Amino acid sequence: MAEIPEGMSTLEYHVLLSMASGPRYGYAIKDAVAAESAGTLQPRAGTLYRVLARLMTHGWVAEVQTGQDDPPHPGLTRKYYGLTATGRAALAVEARRLREAAALAEERLGLVEKTG
Amino acid sequence: MNALLDLLIRLFPRAFRRQFGADLHEQVRVDLGRAERRGRWPALAFTVWTGLDLIRSAVAERLRPTWVGAHATSERVPGFTAAVVVTLGLAVGANAGIFSVISAVLLDPLPFEEPDRLVYIAASAPGSDFPDEFPVSMEFYVQYAEQATLLDGLATFNSFTATLRVGDRIERVRMSMPTHTLFETLGAEPILGRLPEPEDGEDVAVISYALWTTWFGSDPDVIGKAYEAINLPRTIIGVMRPDFRFPNDGVLLWIPSEVPTEIVPGRFGRRLVGRLAPGAEPEDLATQLQTLASRLPERFGGSAAYARLIEQHRPVVRPLREELLGHVSGPLWVLMGSVALVLLIACANVANLFLVRTESRRRDLAVRRAMGAGRGLLIRTQMAEAVLLAAWGGALGVVLAWVGTPLLLRFAPTIPRGDSVAVEAPTLLFALGLSALAAIVCGLAPAVRASAPSLDRLRDAGRGHTRRRSWGRDGLVVAQTALALVLLVGSGLLVRSFVKLRSVDPGYDTEDIFTFQIAPESEGLSDGPEYARFHTDFMERVASLPGVESVGVVGELPLDEGVRGGRFVTEDRQADEDEGVLLNYTWSGGDYFSTMGIEVRLGRAFRAADTETDLGNALVSETAANLLWPDQDPIGRRLRRERSEEWATVVGVVEDVKQYNFRDAAEPLVYLPLVGPTPESWTVASPGYVVKTARAEQIAPEVRALVREVAPSAPMYAVHTMASLQADSMHRLSFTMLTLALASGLALLMGAIGLYGVLSYVVALRTQEIGVRMALGARAGEVRRMVVARGARIVAFGIVLGLFMAAAATRALGALLFATQPLDGITFLGTAIVLGGVGLLASYVPARRASSLDPAACLRAE
Repeated sequence: MAEIPEGMSTLEYHVLLSMASGPRYGYAIKDAVAAESAGTLQPRAGTLYRVLARLMTHGWVAEVQTGQDDPPHPGLTRKYYGLTATGRAALAVEARRLREAAALAEERLGLVEKTG
Repeated sequence: MNALLDLLIRLFPRAFRRQFGADLHEQVRVDLGRAERRGRWPALAFTVWTGLDLIRSAVAERLRPTWVGAHATSERVPGFTAAVVVTLGLAVGANAGIFSVISAVLLDPLPFEEPDRLVYIAASAPGSDFPDEFPVSMEFYVQYAEQATLLDGLATFNSFTATLRVGDRIERVRMSMPTHTLFETLGAEPILGRLPEPEDGEDVAVISYALWTTWFGSDPDVIGKAYEAINLPRTIIGVMRPDFRFPNDGVLLWIPSEVPTEIVPGRFGRRLVGRLAPGAEPEDLATQLQTLASRLPERFGGSAAYARLIEQHRPVVRPLREELLGHVSGPLWVLMGSVALVLLIACANVANLFLVRTESRRRDLAVRRAMGAGRGLLIRTQMAEAVLLAAWGGALGVVLAWVGTPLLLRFAPTIPRGDSVAVEAPTLLFALGLSALAAIVCGLAPAVRASAPSLDRLRDAGRGHTRRRSWGRDGLVVAQTALALVLLVGSGLLVRSFVKLRSVDPGYDTEDIFTFQIAPESEGLSDGPEYARFHTDFMERVASLPGVESVGVVGELPLDEGVRGGRFVTEDRQADEDEGVLLNYTWSGGDYFSTMGIEVRLGRAFRAADTETDLGNALVSETAANLLWPDQDPIGRRLRRERSEEWATVVGVVEDVKQYNFRDAAEPLVYLPLVGPTPESWTVASPGYVVKTARAEQIAPEVRALVREVAPSAPMYAVHTMASLQADSMHRLSFTMLTLALASGLALLMGAIGLYGVLSYVVALRTQEIGVRMALGARAGEVRRMVVARGARIVAFGIVLGLFMAAAATRALGALLFATQPLDGITFLGTAIVLGGVGLLASYVPARRASSLDPAACLRAE
């Protein structure tokens, strides 16, 4: 699996996350990121598409053809992006890391009973 | 709005636009619509922030393929990155540091109004027995000030040490007594109070900002108060700006000096500063002043000798800047030149590293080329890497300059304006420029080379290397070696000068001698005998301190003060009153000569104990004796000052001493006794004391306590040892030598690294060939010789080239050298041998590696 050398940023994580249940188009990705990060991430257009480009370069995201094309204007087709297999794997690895890190934090802060 | 958005989107690379352009467009439009519904300000904020985000993203995206590559490569080869960054960092740091000094000391304009119009005016009299250049006398000032139409202002100036008393604080400080016209001529305004007027006379003073802040705690009420300076109360009328320093940094106050009503012509010693009329050139002024000076005898009278001197007189007019800063500009530019050479060497070194690496990656590059990567992209990738590394190098350099310059300045002689040296905007810009230059120089050649790897390279599997390419690398090492030799020769010459200067016999000892001055003028002493008694008693007290061997006193201490000059007439040739011989003279008493180790060559020295018996006696230095009585016995002969009635009999001849520095020849000197020819003759007001003691470095507090006891209001000052005065007198040379030695050491190291790198690479390239040779029976020694021979050839070329370059360059050292020719054979030969030795050593390490290769492993390589 290709690794991003500096690790995965929060924005990259949420962009990947937004596509985990199926391909999405640009604006939908943005809205999903904003909603799923509880509003903490509001990427502007340039930043968002750069992240998308970067994830594509890594082979984690690819443009996909969907049947459910619903053009907002005649003649303008939306591009849909979805996770590749390595993208899914990367997201899973990162999610596990985050869960472990979150659990560690809760444990150290005394928010949960120590288990095992 | 749409047009602007399109324009911004056009900033992105084409591939990016094709993929995301429409989405970007749509998203920005939708978001803008939402923002507009919330009001005008949210819409404006959205536009600005989104615009900035698009620009930033577009730039980042444009740079991405190359920059990511640059990061990736430099991360892959840590040794390479470190070598390049450190090499460039050291070179840029050295350049930025010296530049910050040059910028503050030499390039900043003098802090006066229209400083380019200010000139220094002095006199010369070719063919006379006067020095090459000497200060004028008061009648020159009067004549010039009244009649020179090409002058917009004229003032006399000087600087000296005298006693300043503010309450209980009594110290000797530097001050100046210029004519009141000085401030107007320079165009300087006070920050507080006013400037002197003609009617103020000599009873007022203008003080420096430094004095105001340190002695008076920046109290504005100081204006109008009177304090004692040079034994008279002076009312402070003004405080000057912090950057007003004239004629040098240390001057703390200015007391106006009046033009005497009765002018005696020929009392030389006044330095002049003038302001040129708009459009006037120094040469025009010199011509006018010559005419004006030629009329001096008819206006002011004077002796026949004075009239003769005026006939020979040629005015000296040169920019004030040159007078104030000229003495440091030479060494500073030499240093700038040296560090510039270090930068060139560093660039050659880094270019070589790049070339070597390009070679090792040429298969990779050829593949990329074959797969369609454009030349432009490959050049950009290489240049991006060079720029990135140069930027890091530049940043390191700025840090080094920032840390190192203050350290360096601590070893520096008292450079005028040295305290205003700071690593600031101009230096940062300079460092930035140098780094950019370094990036281009280091990156371009290898980049172009890398962009055109022929496709053959793929076919021959990267084996073999062409002569042309190796010449590029070898050429760089040759250049590096040559430049390093130039620096080595330069610092070698300075070291030789330094050694020679240290071994000069100045006529006196410098070990174990403590020196200081006191000014008992404020002790209520009134005549010569009182002063003499004071000095004699005081010397006895000092002599009784533990560990003191002997004590002496002299009017002007060598290396610390200049002696006076005067014309002397001897009994043998007093025919013409104006035919006096120009000699220096001073006074001495106590055990001065034995304390200083000045030998008595003939007759005897003054007697320490009995001053009275020395009334009317004199000692002469050997040079003075030869000048006055060539080939005759001077003992018992008599001489006197011109226009004086008091004869002095020569009782002894003493060794010559070097008064000002170790470079110049000793000047003729006459010593008069502490008490003059008659008891009332003169008062020695502020002499220098010399104390012979093994505790020269530690005795100061005890002497100070003694001074406080015998003369509570006479400050002790100019506290030195003869050894420290000697070190100070060589400071300019030793500072330049130290810096140049650092520079050439750096150059030598870089040269060696460059050679080592190239030879290591050659060995690596020829691993298979070496393996074959050894498999075929070549012995280790032969392989070693082969590699070393190649290194030796490169170094030899570099040395020959460097010798020629050094021969052309060392003339720049000019006045810094002492008893050493710019083309000193021993230095040239010696440094060439050193460099050759280092070169061979740098070759030997890769050669050893080559000869220890395992033939089988070599053949398997690749």
